[in-house]
Amino acid sequence: MRAAELAERVPTVRRATSGAEAARVIAEYRFPGLVVAGDDDVPIAVIPGSQLLALVLPSFVREEPNLAHAYDEAGADELCLALNQATIGELLDAKRLTATRPPSVLPEDTLIEIAAVMVHEHHPLILVIDRNGDYHGTVMMSRVLAAIAAAAGQDSALMRRRLETDLAQGDAADDGATE
Amino acid sequence: MTLTAALALAVFVVTYVVIAAEWVHRTMAALCGAAAMVIIGAVDAHAVFFSEDTGIDWNVIFLLFGMMVIVGVLRRTGVFEYLAIRSAQVAGGQPFRTMVTLVVITAVGSALLDNVTTVLLIAPVTLLLCERLALNPVPFLIAEAMASNIGGTATLIGDPPNIIIASRADLSFNSFLVHLAPIVVVLMVVFIGLCWLFWGRRLTSDPERADAVLALEARETIRDPRLLRIMLVLLLGVLVGFVTHTATGLDPSMVALLGAGAAVLLSRTSHQEYLEDVEWGTLLFFAGLFIMVGALVNQGIITDLAGYLSERVDGQWLTAALGLTAASAVLSGIIDNIPYVATMAPVVYDLVGPAPTAPPDQQSLWWGLALGADLGGNATAIGASANVVIIGIAARNGHPITFWTFTKYGIVVTVVTMAVALPYVALRYFTFA
Repeated sequence: MRAAELAERVPTVRRATSGAEAARVIAEYRFPGLVVAGDDDVPIAVIPGSQLLALVLPSFVREEPNLAHAYDEAGADELCLALNQATIGELLDAKRLTATRPPSVLPEDTLIEIAAVMVHEHHPLILVIDRNGDYHGTVMMSRVLAAIAAAAGQDSALMRRRLETDLAQGDAADDGATE
Repeated sequence: MTLTAALALAVFVVTYVVIAAEWVHRTMAALCGAAAMVIIGAVDAHAVFFSEDTGIDWNVIFLLFGMMVIVGVLRRTGVFEYLAIRSAQVAGGQPFRTMVTLVVITAVGSALLDNVTTVLLIAPVTLLLCERLALNPVPFLIAEAMASNIGGTATLIGDPPNIIIASRADLSFNSFLVHLAPIVVVLMVVFIGLCWLFWGRRLTSDPERADAVLALEARETIRDPRLLRIMLVLLLGVLVGFVTHTATGLDPSMVALLGAGAAVLLSRTSHQEYLEDVEWGTLLFFAGLFIMVGALVNQGIITDLAGYLSERVDGQWLTAALGLTAASAVLSGIIDNIPYVATMAPVVYDLVGPAPTAPPDQQSLWWGLALGADLGGNATAIGASANVVIIGIAARNGHPITFWTFTKYGIVVTVVTMAVALPYVALRYFTFA
């Protein structure tokens, strides 16, 4: 399989998206991280989901995790409201979130070339961009592994759906497989 | 003065300026200064490693190391978080009462452990309590840094300058308790009064926010009750070891190391865990300072300075004690009190010798040095390590404390506490000696 065949549309957020909305996007698509897109819808940065999780923790709890045990349920819920208080752009500017620019491959690159870039860059997500700079989609590690498993002789209905359906339709794929 | 002595003095002065100005990290500055002393031939390997007068004071290094390991294991129990939250709840979530309980816990903790570790443990839970009370944590954090410097004055292990003084002056743990703990209790009462004037009278209580503090589950912070029981018994044993060290012949450094070994064995903590809390940079900083000061001793500069001061003192020990106490407070505010005491301890030793054999009027110089250096650490943001640590924690948590924010309170606290400490030195060692 080539990168162009593995590329898919991924759910993205913008700098103006609030932290709580971003958390919802991650939850809806069971996404390992947050893809931030520019005005042209091309992903410009990826933020690991764990960083978004860390936003609900006061800095002193991150410094002394034992203090998390002191919060009761109401106190914990109160902390979660903090996600509504800033946008992704503001959090990036304040360096409370650290984004990395995803690496890219060419549309004609093979599965092994994609895997090599992912392993070398330690990135679960790479962009597919042709020689003219045009964006063709994003390749997720789960899709690369699905393609690798298929090539290695493993097969299942859910995996075929993974390869046929974009991540943006992931829930439908899951539902179909379950049914 | 020989060329080597002149060079040694120049290296010393430049290094202290670099430390005071914080142009590079203090450990780096001290180690570079020590390296320069070796390169110019002011000190050699034998003097550095084996001489009690001109080398690294291993008693100080290993006492600090042992206590760091003990505290590293103790902090895993969550006892500090429990005590702080519980005491705030006992205070009913009322802001000033909460500040007082935190200040008292910090002072007691600083006396029993050491002040830097204590503020490291108490600051995060203070931020939690202030977040629950919807209060600005800056006054609380500043008050805790100052309380740690005052509380740490009470014991041999409470403040690094005391450890250096005890080792050089041959002072016991009990001597510190007898000579300094009573005045520290008075100073704490005075300090709490100052806290009221600075901040307490403007803090208002909000019943809703107080309920948020009462809702905190303090007991949940104790994650390992078995480890807590072990560590409390062990800490008690270590304190008994300190108190009885003159009778048992075990130096405080040995007591701390044995306590550290027992803590590691009984807690079954991995070596990564118990070594994680050892501040290697601080230990190296001390080593660098000892080498630099040792070089001055080796070159006769300290003896010359002591001789000069002895001529000036000319038997006027009251003037000397009060002058040294006041000067120590001023100088400790300008440079960190650790390098200051590392330099002055050999000077005082040359003047009056070890404390146990000195008459009370001369012994007063040792206590004046301790009081001045420890309390003077409050004067500025860089006067003591605890201040630097608190300011760092505050900045990381989005509550920056500027140099002048700290210093404007620090100068007042230092002046007031010195106004209490100076008459104490005069009355205790001269009037009622």
